[in-house]
Amino acid sequence: MIAYTTDKAMGNPCEIFVVDSRTADGLNAADPIVKIPITNGPKVTSMLWGPLDEYLVTGHESGEVVQWDLRSGKTEGKKTIMTHEHSNKINDMQLNQDGTMFITASKDHTAKLFDMATLEPMKTFKTERPVNSASISPIKDHIVLGGGQDAMDVTTTSSRQGKFEARFYHLIFEEEFARVKGHFGPINSLMFHPDGKSFASGGEDGYIRLQEFDPAYFEFRFDY
Amino acid sequence: MSRRKNSESIGNDSEFGDNYVEEPDFSDPEDFVDDIAEEELLGDILQHKPKETGGFDSIIVVDGIPQVAKEEKKPGSDQKTRLEKLQNIIKKLYNSYGTITNEYWPIDANNKTKGYVFFEYKRPEQAAEAVKATNGHKLDKTHTFVVNLFTDFEKYANISETWQPPEPQPYPDLGNLHYFLEEPDCFNQYAVLSDAGGSTAIYSNSLPEPTLIEERKLWTEKYIKWSPLGTYLATLHGKGVALWGGEKFGQIKRFSHPGVEFIDFSPCEKYLVTFSPMAESHGQPGAHAIVVWEVLTGQEKRSFSADRTAAVWPALRWSHNDKYFARLQRVERKDGPVETISIYETPSCGLLDKKSLEVPGVRDFSWSPSDTIISYWVPEVNYGETPARVTLLKIPSREVIRTKNLFSVIDLKMHWQSSGEHLCVKVDRYNRAKKEKDDTIKYVGVHYNFEIFHLREKNVPVDSMEIKDKIMAFAWEPVGSKFAIVTSVSNTSNNVSFYCVKSGTEPALLKTLEKKACNHLFWSPRGQHIILAGLLNLNGVFEFVDTNDFTVMGANDHFMCTDVEWDPTGRYVFTAVSWWGHKIDNGFWLWTFQGRVVHRHNVQRMCNVQWRPRPKTLLSERQIKNIKKNLNKYGAQFDLKDKMRASRASKELIEGRQRLVKAFTEYRNKCIELWKEQKPRRLQLRDGVDTDSLSAGGGEMEEESVELIVKKEVTIIP
Repeated sequence: MIAYTTDKAMGNPCEIFVVDSRTADGLNAADPIVKIPITNGPKVTSMLWGPLDEYLVTGHESGEVVQWDLRSGKTEGKKTIMTHEHSNKINDMQLNQDGTMFITASKDHTAKLFDMATLEPMKTFKTERPVNSASISPIKDHIVLGGGQDAMDVTTTSSRQGKFEARFYHLIFEEEFARVKGHFGPINSLMFHPDGKSFASGGEDGYIRLQEFDPAYFEFRFDY
Repeated sequence: MSRRKNSESIGNDSEFGDNYVEEPDFSDPEDFVDDIAEEELLGDILQHKPKETGGFDSIIVVDGIPQVAKEEKKPGSDQKTRLEKLQNIIKKLYNSYGTITNEYWPIDANNKTKGYVFFEYKRPEQAAEAVKATNGHKLDKTHTFVVNLFTDFEKYANISETWQPPEPQPYPDLGNLHYFLEEPDCFNQYAVLSDAGGSTAIYSNSLPEPTLIEERKLWTEKYIKWSPLGTYLATLHGKGVALWGGEKFGQIKRFSHPGVEFIDFSPCEKYLVTFSPMAESHGQPGAHAIVVWEVLTGQEKRSFSADRTAAVWPALRWSHNDKYFARLQRVERKDGPVETISIYETPSCGLLDKKSLEVPGVRDFSWSPSDTIISYWVPEVNYGETPARVTLLKIPSREVIRTKNLFSVIDLKMHWQSSGEHLCVKVDRYNRAKKEKDDTIKYVGVHYNFEIFHLREKNVPVDSMEIKDKIMAFAWEPVGSKFAIVTSVSNTSNNVSFYCVKSGTEPALLKTLEKKACNHLFWSPRGQHIILAGLLNLNGVFEFVDTNDFTVMGANDHFMCTDVEWDPTGRYVFTAVSWWGHKIDNGFWLWTFQGRVVHRHNVQRMCNVQWRPRPKTLLSERQIKNIKKNLNKYGAQFDLKDKMRASRASKELIEGRQRLVKAFTEYRNKCIELWKEQKPRRLQLRDGVDTDSLSAGGGEMEEESVELIVKKEVTIIP
């Protein structure tokens, strides 16, 4: 199954589609498995599948996170849980390795860690700039955030001021412990390699950077 | 036709007449006594009941008029009698306050006017305004008007013979206003105005983290200001100013001055001056733009109207001990406007000696920070015909202590040293002046001079020093006798020079630090340490210099920094990026005086951060010397305390972390349990492929080596 959302454009409202990818007909948008229109609400900016394909979790332009139950009906999608933890648009959401938690990156300068089943916010990571993307390490209790300024403001300010760095925080203590410089434009997307030994970042400057970690990274310990 | 109408009307009448029922009688029975007073029923309407004006409310009495003999008017001549001339002058003055409906000039037995006149205005408000505006008006040297409302006489005559002492009001206990000085570890407080003015927070600068003392939203509508000795925090609102203090920052006093924009405290915190530019145009008649309040009682002491030409705040400048305040004014006189320095004494707020200091052309003045001495300067007239002059004047005796004539002066700035021992006058001088076509003056060959006045020496000697380069900044060391200047040698680099001042010789150059990116100087309030700051276009670079040996202790930068604030003890410095100057990256950094960054705080839309000032120390010189001698002993105590505090902090931190980890692992264990339970379902959904044990990038690679024959060569060895 493929789930995708359409943007609010050209008079069409924002909608969530779930289609069957096994047949060619299924991919036709006219006959989706589930279609959820979002007529009055803020548009969807990010989406994740639930662990057993039972539900979808969407992040919206207003900062809301909504869980939709897909089993109920064909065209319905029942809103099971909704939380509004962020005060500004959610830029990205990513799952952890076993799909039980996900992290949201928001324009309100924070990233939050949520529990998948209950949508309960567990941790908050604060920065001074809008966060464009966040990823959870598969092997250690670390997360990485990337962001920077709005793309519009970049050319009018110097690159040093922009702080285009990937920042590493400890998952439990919410404290920053490392930064990786290199981009000279805002970082738009980040992800850890599935083996946890490197990560990839892509930025507004048009570069994708693949960074491997030194042994020092694996040996680093917080005192507790 | 008419008749029919008549009959119709009669008919109508009769119809009405048929339906006419006698109405019940609504009037009260004869013996009905109304038991509700009129005021209760119609109180609010009664207030608007048109009252008969006694008629006397619009009459004013003007006393102090010259007495003029009533002369017979020569028949046929156009010349006015003296009386008529006098009447015209006075009437012209009073006509501006309203329409005069009646006037009476009483004449005594000798045919002379008695010296007072009655005017009646159309409305009582006009009369009140006339009284306010002209009471005390000086007609000429010997005649001053005394103006009163007619009704005032009755009021004064009816004062009761027996005087009752006013009732003592309960004393509102404000608590300990100086509690912040008793902080056992001597942490200073500071106030942060953030969220574009929406939130104000007071912190104590404790180690390792600052502690929040108080935070309130919308505490002020414009900005906040500490009083000079740190006792009060003043907030500005649309209706006026409020003062807060004490441990809980309760409201101490309120001052009502609608539209207030700027405030200023007197140095000893006895008085508060508020400025509201709108008060005169939009407020009630009689409201003034500048008001002096007494802080402890909340009373308005005196008010002034703002001089249109004065654009500098503070308009009223105080002497160091709160005894006098002075302002620069342009006063209209008969032969044209004259600049005066008006000096007022407290607590009466009356003009000192009832006379302003007339100094034609005076440009600026300033008080000495330690004595009641004023220094002022007058620019030169007509390109050097009359030289510019700096004068030192002692108040209240008005004795001239020293004057100095200066030639070829374009501009002048006076800098007092904080202990009042020296006054430095920076003079911009020219070699030649050319008058351009459009009446502007072009100066050629501009150079700079410093004139140092030594006030503690007999006869106040003056030393001169000349500088060729353009001077960007000047700062006295607050305690001591050094000063630092920033001169610009070329467009990009500046030099910082330090001079030592000693009387009898010109200032001695101690050191010049070259090629510094610096355009501002910030001395520590205790002296000795200075920060060379490059703000604005130099993007916030700092160098911390110890001026005892001119070593650079630290160099660092805070990108786009807009403000630098030393704490009152000279131990810490804030560098801040204010939202008023720069819209992103707002926050402040805390540094030690040696140039080491202690904290970085990012605060949303932070407007400014201000240290709470401290009053002067109560210790005597000897006691201070004693403490310095025994510093080792005290030092050991403090070190122990610091170590304990650090270990306690790390212990707390570690305990906190352990708690977090425990909570999180519990949660994770639950999740993992759930995940394991869901495994069969997962296998089912994914067609039996066990995705959980797939690892990326594979340990499932096999290495195979393949040999290929690339070339065959046969060589025959003979």
